Amino acid sequence: MRPSANIIPLAVVGLVVTGIVGFLVAILFISWFSNPPFGLGNAPAQPIAFPHTIHAGTVEEGGVGISCEFCHRNVTEGAAATVPAVEQCVFCHQQINPENLMAETRAEQDQMQLVVDKFNDNDPINWERVHRVPDHVRFVHEAHIRFLTEGQPRTVAMPIGDGQPRQLPLTNQQACSVCHGDVAQMKEVQPTPGQSLKMGTCVDCHRELNVGTDCTICHK
Amino acid sequence: MKLTRRNFLAWAGLSAIGAVACDVIQDEELSLQSPRSLPEDLVKGRDNWYATLGRQATDGEGVIVRVMEGRAKKIQGNPKYPVNQGKQSVRSEVGLQAMYHPDRLAGPMLRTGPRGSGQYRSIQWEPEALDILRRELRARSQGMVLITEPLRGTLGMIADRFATSLGGRHLGFEALDDTTYRAAIKGVFDQDRLPDFDIGNANYVISFGADFLSTWKGSTRLSTAYGEFRQGNRRQTQGSRGYLVHVDPRFSMTAANADEWLPIRPGMEGYLALSLAYVIISEGMQAEGVDVDALTNGQGAAALAAFAPENVASLLGIPEKLHEGKSAAEKIRDLANNFAHHGPSIALGGDSAGAHTNGQFNLMAIYALNYLVGSAGSGGGVRFNPASPMAMLPDAARVGSTADWATVANSIRSGETRLVLVHDANPVHGLPDSLGFRGALDRDNQEELFVVSFSSFLDETTVMADLILPDRAFLEDWGDDIPEPGPGYQVIGMQQPVVNPLSDLDPRSFGDILLSMAQEIGQDSELPWANVEEALKACTEGLFAAGRGTSSQTASADELWNLMLRQGGWWDEGATGPTPSAPNGLLNNIAAQGREPGYAGSGDFYLLPFSHNTLLDGRHAHIPWMQGVPDPVTTVTWQTWVELNSHTAEEMELREGDVVSVATDTGSITGVLYPNPALPPNVVAVPLGQGRTSGSDYATGGDPRESSNVLDILSPSHMTENGSLAWAGHRASVRATGASLKVAKFEGIFPAREIGHTAGEAVIRVTNH
Repeated sequence: MRPSANIIPLAVVGLVVTGIVGFLVAILFISWFSNPPFGLGNAPAQPIAFPHTIHAGTVEEGGVGISCEFCHRNVTEGAAATVPAVEQCVFCHQQINPENLMAETRAEQDQMQLVVDKFNDNDPINWERVHRVPDHVRFVHEAHIRFLTEGQPRTVAMPIGDGQPRQLPLTNQQACSVCHGDVAQMKEVQPTPGQSLKMGTCVDCHRELNVGTDCTICHK
Repeated sequence: MKLTRRNFLAWAGLSAIGAVACDVIQDEELSLQSPRSLPEDLVKGRDNWYATLGRQATDGEGVIVRVMEGRAKKIQGNPKYPVNQGKQSVRSEVGLQAMYHPDRLAGPMLRTGPRGSGQYRSIQWEPEALDILRRELRARSQGMVLITEPLRGTLGMIADRFATSLGGRHLGFEALDDTTYRAAIKGVFDQDRLPDFDIGNANYVISFGADFLSTWKGSTRLSTAYGEFRQGNRRQTQGSRGYLVHVDPRFSMTAANADEWLPIRPGMEGYLALSLAYVIISEGMQAEGVDVDALTNGQGAAALAAFAPENVASLLGIPEKLHEGKSAAEKIRDLANNFAHHGPSIALGGDSAGAHTNGQFNLMAIYALNYLVGSAGSGGGVRFNPASPMAMLPDAARVGSTADWATVANSIRSGETRLVLVHDANPVHGLPDSLGFRGALDRDNQEELFVVSFSSFLDETTVMADLILPDRAFLEDWGDDIPEPGPGYQVIGMQQPVVNPLSDLDPRSFGDILLSMAQEIGQDSELPWANVEEALKACTEGLFAAGRGTSSQTASADELWNLMLRQGGWWDEGATGPTPSAPNGLLNNIAAQGREPGYAGSGDFYLLPFSHNTLLDGRHAHIPWMQGVPDPVTTVTWQTWVELNSHTAEEMELREGDVVSVATDTGSITGVLYPNPALPPNVVAVPLGQGRTSGSDYATGGDPRESSNVLDILSPSHMTENGSLAWAGHRASVRATGASLKVAKFEGIFPAREIGHTAGEAVIRVTNH
């Protein structure tokens, strides 16, 4: 039978719809197993432009090389890494060089002034959360940091990030970057491809390292 | 409804859409909060230890400070610093409380009310505060007086040069000054610097009055040495144990630690010392090689015949019960015998022994004993300190005597001095009230007098100031020190800022202000450095050029600077002090000065003021830790207590806590009674330290009946041979006021009682005979 003349626009519409649906399904599929593409899973802009590059970056790279746990003080001690109090920012910025608050450019000084104002006004800073695991998950930073930074020298396979085997023990900074990416290189911290903090990643690592995968290990 | 695969997917899809649409993820879960302040229970971070100097200890202690996140957390002794070798006094430790004190002055202030009223308004450093200082220095620096704590090293040099180049004078202030002690050391050993005592290697020590385990010069170093003396490694291997005799009319911390405590009539220490010298010479017990003929101009024991035990025993007033069944003269002979035969021996004296009208005689007689036993300049004896490694840095503080302060007060009254600068000194509280220093400052007319204080806290002198320019705390500032007494070789301690001031404080370095003012006024030839740090670096270059001691470990001045900051200073163990030889006829000269002390007033008791273990003369009274540290002997805190023998108190129907009045011919004070079974019955002892009237509540907030300044009832005209206050030579009466207060003390509520009933068991004995 000769195809109707109407079939062509119908086919075009069908292809478009299929393409769109397929695209959406692909996004959902990727998002389900990894980080959403096109920055869809990114956190909104932070209230203060805090540059990890300067704080955590090495001196050679123009940073000041502050260790992660200096600010995220509980990361080696308990479940939550915690974000620093405003007072802790002011410790350095107002004490070491109160003249320019240790900021070089005018824009940086303006941002730093916001922090000082928060401190003086007795206000907290509400940051946008970048890395989050669901409520029903119990993740203890301390145990993970301890595993990665202590013990005898050993090589382990770690299916996270680039998937390459890693030589343990790591430094604290290297240990943090296993899941969070190289934050010291990020002017604005966002999730890193391949480091999605999804359940699959957790389970893969636990299996590979012969750690328990019982539900109750992670799930409340 | 039947649950099919299709239904399940539909419901799952709808649930997901509903969850997103209804915003089931709480906003809080998508944000993180930085609280404004650090949680109290979350103290994390890495600590750093920095070496610096504990300036609260006047002798100069090296300390290391634990710093976390820009905050100093702990001060303790620097194990590398030669003077205190890792130990520290409580006075160093509380530097933290002084720095973080809530009553610390935040910034410059200008007087707005009548002088002494404490009414001030805050002003800015630039331009107002510094403009006023500059203007006053230009207008009236001729004849000005710069009063500081005893200063040595770079800051001492800056203060000296600043004052003299502007036509004024610099004087260090200490309530119980060391003028007489210095004069005695000069007279006996011809030394300008205070000596060190090698107690750790001595076997026998006689201490006359010097409470060297509590507040006397170099007490931290001497306490450490005392540990060696008693039970150090050397003692344990040799099986010997040092023997300490303490001669003192008061049962002090050192007396409590001594093997023998000999309470003596106040001011008679010199008689006892010369009596010992007589026995040593007459029985030929002097050390080998000692030239007795030179010491006595060839007269031998005859030169001291007037001080033979039989002639002086009855004058000394040592209780018979302590003679151990012998006569007083025999007791003295025993003491001389032990002192001469159980060497190395040391005789040292100070505190009350030198604070009499015959104070210099007493101390000279005591120190001369060291020549007879060969302890002058030898191991286990008296060690002498070398001169400053840098000629420009003073190695001894220039401290004014009472006579000096009377002169200063007169010069203010006469209008010769119209500008007074004060830094960390409180002469209004520390001088007897009747000397009139407060009155001299108390003029409302700024044309007649302008007073600038660089102190961080209000006190009785600072409250008289027209302008207050608060200094940085010692943990926030640069500096150095040549410790005195030193350890027997050249040392310069380095002070570096280990933290910055809190953000709500705006102090400026006293030394930096003096340097900038000197340059602006045109005195930069004397003081060419932009700030103290630069002056210290210039000094470091000089030390590096010397190429010895710490300098020999480094290849450049920069490297030396870093090493000095790291280890806390510079020292050269090879640069030791001299070994003096005895002047001819020394004992004749001392004997010729011999006279009994004069006592001011006519009360029933000898009045013995003493330096408080932590508050000293009251300079630390604003620090709560210092107030709360119990006195080591009585355990009393926060109060002025009046010590009286317990039997005497009973006879006077006085009980512990009774508010008593202690009166001299000059005035009276009150305090709470503390019956002390170990105090001679004819003595009343009162600590300094309280009685503050201006400043922090910690210093002034108590009941005035239990907070008094005993210095106020001393007679300023009653002086030693050197113009120092003869503060231990007064008589006083004690009477009840009828009131009673609780004594704030740590010891139990049970009264002291005799322990043991046989001589061998006797540990403490209640005395009233």
